[in-house]
Parts: sequence; structure tokens; C-alpha cells
Amino acid sequence: MEFLALFLAALAFLLAVPVPRLLHQASFRVRSPWTAMLLWQSIALAGGLSLVGAPMIYGLAPFGDSLLEAVVTVLRLLTQEDFAALEDLDVHPTHIFALCLGVLIGGHLLLTLARTYIRVLNARRRHRQLVGLLSTPLAQEQDPETAHLVDTHIIEHDAPLAYCLPGRTNASSVTVLSRGLLVQLSEAELAAVVAHEKTHLAQRHHLLTMAFEAWYRALPWLPTTRYGREAVLELTEMLADDGALAESSREDLLRSIATTGSGEDQPSPDAAAPQAQGGLITGARLQRLLLPPAPLTRTASLGIASSALALLAIPTGLILIS
Amino acid sequence: MASLGDLERSVMSLLWDGGQRLSANEVRDQLDESLAVTTVLTVLSRLEKKGMVHRERSTRPHRYAATASREEHTVEMLNEVLGTVPDREAVLARFIGGVSDSEATALRKILSK
Repeated sequence: MEFLALFLAALAFLLAVPVPRLLHQASFRVRSPWTAMLLWQSIALAGGLSLVGAPMIYGLAPFGDSLLEAVVTVLRLLTQEDFAALEDLDVHPTHIFALCLGVLIGGHLLLTLARTYIRVLNARRRHRQLVGLLSTPLAQEQDPETAHLVDTHIIEHDAPLAYCLPGRTNASSVTVLSRGLLVQLSEAELAAVVAHEKTHLAQRHHLLTMAFEAWYRALPWLPTTRYGREAVLELTEMLADDGALAESSREDLLRSIATTGSGEDQPSPDAAAPQAQGGLITGARLQRLLLPPAPLTRTASLGIASSALALLAIPTGLILIS
Repeated sequence: MASLGDLERSVMSLLWDGGQRLSANEVRDQLDESLAVTTVLTVLSRLEKKGMVHRERSTRPHRYAATASREEHTVEMLNEVLGTVPDREAVLARFIGGVSDSEATALRKILSK
């Protein structure tokens, strides 16, 4: 079990420092955003698993030959104050310390995830209420043939805005457009915006980014969490662009992006600041729309996808059979 | 036949535009005479629970007023979309989020060629 602990510690370090540094600018992400997304998700899971697993496996090692046996022994010893047994098992204080460390890190990660999830859900519910009271459903204003715009709402504001608000189900999700956007965009450009937002909702991008928001909050000093959060946000935009391109022309999409990024009529003067330093502005998203790169070959995509799965399966498997 | 959501929106519009405290009966009279007062009361208590409406309990009948103006709520909403609210990215996914103003300006130049 000591070897496994060492292996997990090395994996945790690799996934926390060098891998995200290399991956967040890797050029294949613009050619195949979904494989990059898959890779990030498994890095986050495998990284968290090995970060928690390494100290715990090390701490559990003297208590038994297998993971199950060790956990049972620890639980049994916890209920009885048998200090002699600790000596017999050759338990060193570092083992106890490592066990506590593992439990603390794991608890911290899970609690932060739960807290982020609850806070985000509350903020969304509140925002959803305001949207319900302050906006008008687009479908009411238009003729019935715009049936795909049922859950699209209009807020009365001059700045060109479009965003989506995920609900628990796709039916309770809404896309919000501002009056300013409706005025400035043509019918076809508007369709591109709506298709982009619908892709965010249909592919449930808010779930793919949730864990990264939480990890960033839990361990902001770790490169993985910062790079990962930025990379995943960027990838969701690329995936949503691809979704929009399935229904709209490249030019309509680009025109709508150019309009929504307009600096005029920004209601809040500091609005530009978080965008400029938010890390989303790598330019890669626009570049791949302007000069579409060749998609990754099938073999390469499958290769990356299977390494992503292996990355997750190997530490999980090793822990389970240990 | 209006849904509860539609009714909530109409009641809020009434309270916002009038800018005065109204009783449930007055809301009904100004909104739609065919509505049952109990329906109006249901809608008002839902709005109260959401923090949109304040109920004045010192008078009989109770009077209701909007807690904040339409503009204030719009600002609150837009702050979540545009401002520096924590969790902004997590709460909503944005179309414009991916592009900075300078990039958008450059893009407009390219497109207008």
C-alpha cells in the first residue's frame, strides 16, 4: 500500500502542477473541444481522488494488507482505546497525521462543492424569479411559428445581452435576451444566439463547470483549479459555438458575437474589467471561428478520450483492489 | 386564462407603476374584476415570500407595496449578468462572456470588410 500511496502522490502532483500548465493552452482543444473537456473532467476527478487518496492510503497501510481490512481495523480501534494494539501494528504518528490530512482535504473539497452548489442554486432561483417578473416571453410577442423560442425571455434593456439560466430540467431553463440585442441583430443572427444558448443548456454546461468553480474556491493557490476553471469555461463557449454552427451560418454567428461584445451602452463601467482579466479572452474562441482549424482525426480523438478514461480508471482501480 | 406567473407579473407591474400601497381588493379592481380576491391574495403572498412585496400589517385590510422599484430590480438582475458578482460564471452561461470589447471591435472591422 505504501507504493500505491507514493504513486497517488506523484499522480496528484502531476495533475496539479505540470499537466494543467501544458494542457490549458494545448492546440488540440480548438480542433476538438469535447475531447479537451473530457480530459479536464477526468483530470479534476483523478486529481481530487489521488490528492485525498495518497495520504489516506499511506495512513491506512499499517492497519491491514488490503484497503477494506485496514478501514475495518481503524473503525474498530476508534471505538476502543487500545493503545497496545497501535503499538503491535507498528503505527507511527505520521500515519495518524496522514489519515487526518486525507480526511480533512476530502472533507474540505466535498463541503466546498456542496456550498458552491447550494449558493449557485439559490442565486439562480432568485435570478429566475426576477426574470419571471421583469421579462416578457418572446413567444407571446411573435407568431406561433417561432415555437422554438418558447423559453426565451426579453428584458427591457438597451445593452445587447444574451445569457442562459440553467434550471433543474431543460424545461425549466430559460434563455434571456435584451431588447437592445433584438433591435441590433437580424433574424438570422438572433437564431445563432439562441442556438448557442440552447447548446449550453442542452449539453448541461453548468454541470461541467460547477466542480471547477468549487475546486477553484477550495484550492485557489493550486494551478489546476485556476487553469481548469478558465479552460473549461472557454471550452463550453467553443462547444456552444459548434452547436450554433449546426443551425446557423458562420457569418451570422460572428456578427452576433461582434454585436454582443459591443462596448457601447455598457450599463456598468467596471463591466469590462472582470471580462478582460477573466481569462476567457484567449482569442482562441474567435480565431477558430474566423479560420476554422481541421477537426482532430478520429484516431486522435479516440486516443485522447481513452487516455482521459484511463487517467480516471487507473487510480480508481488501484485503490479498489489494494 | 392567466397562469400564476402571468398574474404575478401583472400584479408587480400594477404596484410598480402605481407606486402606492394597495389592498388586495384594490389590486383586483384595477387588474381584472372577474378575479377572485383569494386568487389575488395567493399571488400577493407568493410575491411576499419572494421578497418582492411588502405587506403592511398595521392597517385593515392589509396593504401591499413593492419592496423596490422596477429599475432597482433590473439593476440587481443586470449586476449578476454584467457585474462582479461572485459565482457569476456559475450562475449563468453568457454569450458575450467569451469576447472582450477589443476583440469585438476587431471582429466588427473584419466583418465590415
